[in-house]
Amino acid sequence: MARFVTRGLREAGHTVEHADNGRDGLFSAASESYDVIVMDRMLPGNIDGLGIIEALRKAGNRTPILILSALSDVDERIKGLKSGGDDYLTKPFAFGELLARVDALGRRARDPGADRVLQVGDLRMDLLSRRVTRGSRPVTLQPREFKLLEYLMRHADQVVTRTMLLEAVWDYNFDPQTNVVDVHISKLRQKIELDSERPLVRTVRNAGYMMSADG
Amino acid sequence: MARLIRSSATAWALGYVLLGLAALAAFAVPLWWAWKVTILAGREELLRDDAQRLTEVFVHEGIGGLAAHINTRVGMQIAGERTLLLTDAAYRPLAGNLAAWPHDISARPGVNAVLAQLPGQKTQTLFIETEFAGGYHLLVGRDLARFRQLEQRFTWGLVTAVTFLFVVGALGAFLVRRALLTRVQGIGETVAAIMQGDLRHRLPVGGSEEFAMLSRTLNGMLDHIEHLISGISNVSNSIAHDLRTPLAELRSRLEELALTRPAPGEAFAEIEAAVADIDRVMRMFNALLRLAEIDSGARRSGFVRVDAAAVAAEVVEYYEPAAEQKGVVFSFAAAGDAAVAGDPVLLAQAVSNLIDNSLKSVPARGAISVKVGRRADGAVEIAVADDGPGIPDADKPRVTERFYRGDASRGTPGVGLGLSIVDAVARLHGGVLQLLDNHPGLRAQMVLPVAPA
Repeated sequence: MARFVTRGLREAGHTVEHADNGRDGLFSAASESYDVIVMDRMLPGNIDGLGIIEALRKAGNRTPILILSALSDVDERIKGLKSGGDDYLTKPFAFGELLARVDALGRRARDPGADRVLQVGDLRMDLLSRRVTRGSRPVTLQPREFKLLEYLMRHADQVVTRTMLLEAVWDYNFDPQTNVVDVHISKLRQKIELDSERPLVRTVRNAGYMMSADG
Repeated sequence: MARLIRSSATAWALGYVLLGLAALAAFAVPLWWAWKVTILAGREELLRDDAQRLTEVFVHEGIGGLAAHINTRVGMQIAGERTLLLTDAAYRPLAGNLAAWPHDISARPGVNAVLAQLPGQKTQTLFIETEFAGGYHLLVGRDLARFRQLEQRFTWGLVTAVTFLFVVGALGAFLVRRALLTRVQGIGETVAAIMQGDLRHRLPVGGSEEFAMLSRTLNGMLDHIEHLISGISNVSNSIAHDLRTPLAELRSRLEELALTRPAPGEAFAEIEAAVADIDRVMRMFNALLRLAEIDSGARRSGFVRVDAAAVAAEVVEYYEPAAEQKGVVFSFAAAGDAAVAGDPVLLAQAVSNLIDNSLKSVPARGAISVKVGRRADGAVEIAVADDGPGIPDADKPRVTERFYRGDASRGTPGVGLGLSIVDAVARLHGGVLQLLDNHPGLRAQMVLPVAPA
């Protein structure tokens, strides 16, 4: 599992360091500066990774942490996020899902989202007045569509998976069987990408969607 | 012995014997007392009459006449029963059947009767003393031999009754204990047979009402256990069966890859298809784990006040574009306060599963309506109705079983756990899932108890 994650992240262009036990991991996390920590909840010697996260947070370390766990219960997920984790991914998972979440966490670390205006290409979103414009054309959105677009724009140039959208936009952490998210995206695209305009949202095969200025 | 006392039958019998003894004592003791008092009073009266008559003889005939009268009476009577003694002022005997004045008798003249045991006599004697003019003393007595006989009969009667009580009690205990043991052993044998694996055994329902009741209750429990166990084995059969299909596909895909070694483009397409096969298996496991989580009831601790209408509205909003795309008329209506105590995520999932099912089954340009409201009995109802093919009545009880898929749904995507999850969520919330005919189509409704105010 660690080899698969490490190799995949390296191939995606990240620099990865791997510790195979809780003590080394805690030591590296405390002594060096990382963009994102990926932590397996189940550590050698039956140690719960949540304890290490709590220790890091108590020491004032704010590095974003993605928890990997075989425990899928909603309560476990809440426990993981309460202990100081920033995201929770249940095993088994698709690598694309992990990569997208690591990228999202890394981005969050760099700009702590106090923006008032989001911009991708000529698409502008004013978070205070809740107005969206494409070039000079105003775009009218339903509240949920606004939330969906905001999430995509905040994660511009990153892959966001359907599960991430479900969790962030609808707050559902179950898997509605039909992929209705695709329909929501295509409806949104109809509103923000008229025929004459350059596409902004791209479908990434086997992973999800990506929004970028060059489509 | 300790076992015998611990036996409930023996304890009951012992209790009844003690109760019998108490009742007997309550009856006999006052009777005995009243009887004794009455008899003594009667005897005393007789003695007084006797003394009175002798006093009259003395008044009419003087001391000589009385002495002669007494001697005549003593000569006529059978010895023992009556005692008569006439003395002068110095207690020297003049007539009678007593050799000397019994000085230990403390009777005072004419006042009251006294009981005393004379030397050489078996029973007690009741005495009355009378004093005549001139200092003469007369002692009249009567022994209680007759009374003693009655006393003996009474005692014998009591002893017989007590013995009878004990014998009947012991016999009853023995019989009841034997009957109880037979029944309990019968139950034990059935249970032993069940423990050896044959769940079809049932306890005989017959005999006394109490045991029939116990047997019926136990049989009900056995029915439930048998149902659960057959459910479990059905589920594991279904899991095995449903897993085999994607795994077989996966296997042949990989085997073919290894054999034909196609060009990279084709190979990657095959690998992606293999990953999709695995995802299907994983979805099934996720659904099973979710069901197990719901069934364990652990989520109940996180119940909050949830507006079922708001939850349903959100899910409806989520599915709206999909319905629109399929050309389905999708309507939502909510009326009344629909607050329930529950888990919003699970309720959303249940409503989502129902809408998902309807979306899969309705034809293009069909209609789905979601309604949330209060029923006449006050319960909250979340109903999803469609005009699709519906579920045949014969299938209705089975569609909530795990992995059961009606003929109509075969070939559509899904793992056959959607309605099982809805059913489990409804039960977790203390409600039920009802599947009704919508003429045409299906009306699936969750009926949930309203949240306490």
